[in-house]
Amino acid sequence: MKRSIDPVSVGLKVWTVAMLAFLCIPIVIVVAWSFNTANFLVFWETWGLRWWRTAFDNESLRDSVRTSFVVAALSTVIAVVIGGFGGIALARRPGRWVVPFLVLLFLVLVTPEIVDAISYLLWFTRLRLDDGLLRLAISHSVFGSAIIAFVVRARLAGLDNSIEDAAADLGATPTRTLRTIILPLAAPGLFAGALLSFTMSLDNVIVSSFVKTTDTVTFPVYALGSLRTGGPKGDLAVAGTMFLMLTLVSLFTATYALRRAGGSSREIVGALAAE
Amino acid sequence: MRRRPAWLLSIPAWIWYVTWFVIPVGIIVMYSFGRRGVIANGETDNVILTNLSFDRYSEALRAPFGTLLRLTLETAAIGTAICFVIAVPAAYAMATKLGPRARMVALALVIIPFWTSFLLRTYAWTILLASRGVLSEELQDRGLRDTPIELLGTRTAVQIGVVYNYLPLMVFPLFVAFDRLEPSLREAARDLGAGRLRTFLGVTLPLSAAGVTSGLLLVFVPLMGDFVTAEVLGKAQGTMIGQSIYGQFLDSGNWALGSAMSVLLIGLIAATVGCFALALRLSLLAFHSSRDLRLPRQAA
Repeated sequence: MKRSIDPVSVGLKVWTVAMLAFLCIPIVIVVAWSFNTANFLVFWETWGLRWWRTAFDNESLRDSVRTSFVVAALSTVIAVVIGGFGGIALARRPGRWVVPFLVLLFLVLVTPEIVDAISYLLWFTRLRLDDGLLRLAISHSVFGSAIIAFVVRARLAGLDNSIEDAAADLGATPTRTLRTIILPLAAPGLFAGALLSFTMSLDNVIVSSFVKTTDTVTFPVYALGSLRTGGPKGDLAVAGTMFLMLTLVSLFTATYALRRAGGSSREIVGALAAE
Repeated sequence: MRRRPAWLLSIPAWIWYVTWFVIPVGIIVMYSFGRRGVIANGETDNVILTNLSFDRYSEALRAPFGTLLRLTLETAAIGTAICFVIAVPAAYAMATKLGPRARMVALALVIIPFWTSFLLRTYAWTILLASRGVLSEELQDRGLRDTPIELLGTRTAVQIGVVYNYLPLMVFPLFVAFDRLEPSLREAARDLGAGRLRTFLGVTLPLSAAGVTSGLLLVFVPLMGDFVTAEVLGKAQGTMIGQSIYGQFLDSGNWALGSAMSVLLIGLIAATVGCFALALRLSLLAFHSSRDLRLPRQAA
């Protein structure tokens, strides 16, 4: 095609840039406001490192960040096991069980979070399960594992069945085939899914605020609490900025890992967006 | 040949989802027919399950909850529509007009907000929209406005917030759908004399129906159950059902009523999605039969 200026293309690009700006402005605000010296986050005073210096002195904030990471790690481990095997099972030689299984996974993904949240609360109360970490980890793992199952399934979808047959012909036990052939092939999907599950757990507000106990408050629950009572202070923006940097690092790691594993940029986007 | 049936691997998942999804959701349904009891002697469960009835449902449908249902549906429908209108041109441009490098950057910029603390990015809008906040003061300083912006605590603020929060979920599936389409299909439509708009509406969009559907679902469903955005930007006046369900459980402790509200919420979501799917199918059908040139069904 000729490289002349095309008003429609230009218009579309301008539209895209405007949308990206709309998406990024609030993030820029959070980062900028972490350098704000005012007592409360809403008002701008002047640039300064006040809250960066004192953010770590706030014990409940520190505890909440720690709790968040412990819960995210625990729930991701569970989700990888449950969802990983589930995804492999879906991709390999599907049978009649696949349809109800997919329906179940789909229901897990489309149930509104508020409904999940109260159902966990009711069930945990009935079971008298009082351990906050366990309650959070279990509830976060359900959604995370469903996502991992879909990502792993997509990753293994194009795989030729004869690979497994070849391994079996050469005398490998099914367990060995799984361990030495299927798992390595599924690894990039598992990794991307795990990362997604981890970040979703870190960011979960609704379910966490229902199932948490008083001594296991996650960061988003702590943040919601400080928004509800009085005003949030600068240390919240500092913590948010650190989470953002962590996100960026893991995003780049994930892209790098998937690229090394031979994924194209499109697959990577698909995997990261849990398409 | 030794093969272990593949479904064996799915057993842990079955057990996990039945224990932590099917049973708990079943409990909500059961509780929605019960009534409120008194919490006594360390009892944590306050729903009485004798004499089951539909009373909680009629209680839930009375105002103000009935009005709230309508308002939530309105906010969610408008929010989903705005997300769609914003996302379609952008996703289309990202898939067809940008080079590989620019495309990666654009996608990263869509993913990053999606991966940043939901609460903080919502709160950032409070900073922006507050009557004594930056935007307001700046506009007044420059003489562009005489009075402070009074947006916080209104439904407009909630609407802006939900569009912002759920937009990435609309962009991804649309991008993937547009990206998968063969450019030759568009070229063919042009060669046959179709204009740009006609090519887009007649070829690109119908062939991307799967992406459109998943985008609409991904935005609409979580939006219906959201209460955080409304809590942060809408302040005390409840604007979403989620807030009211939250209140029944964590503030007033009427679990039976809260359960009935949740079942109604699920029903409303299912009904809306069902009606929409039917309408979409009918309009696609009408669209296809109105053309002399039949379009191919989505190529595998």
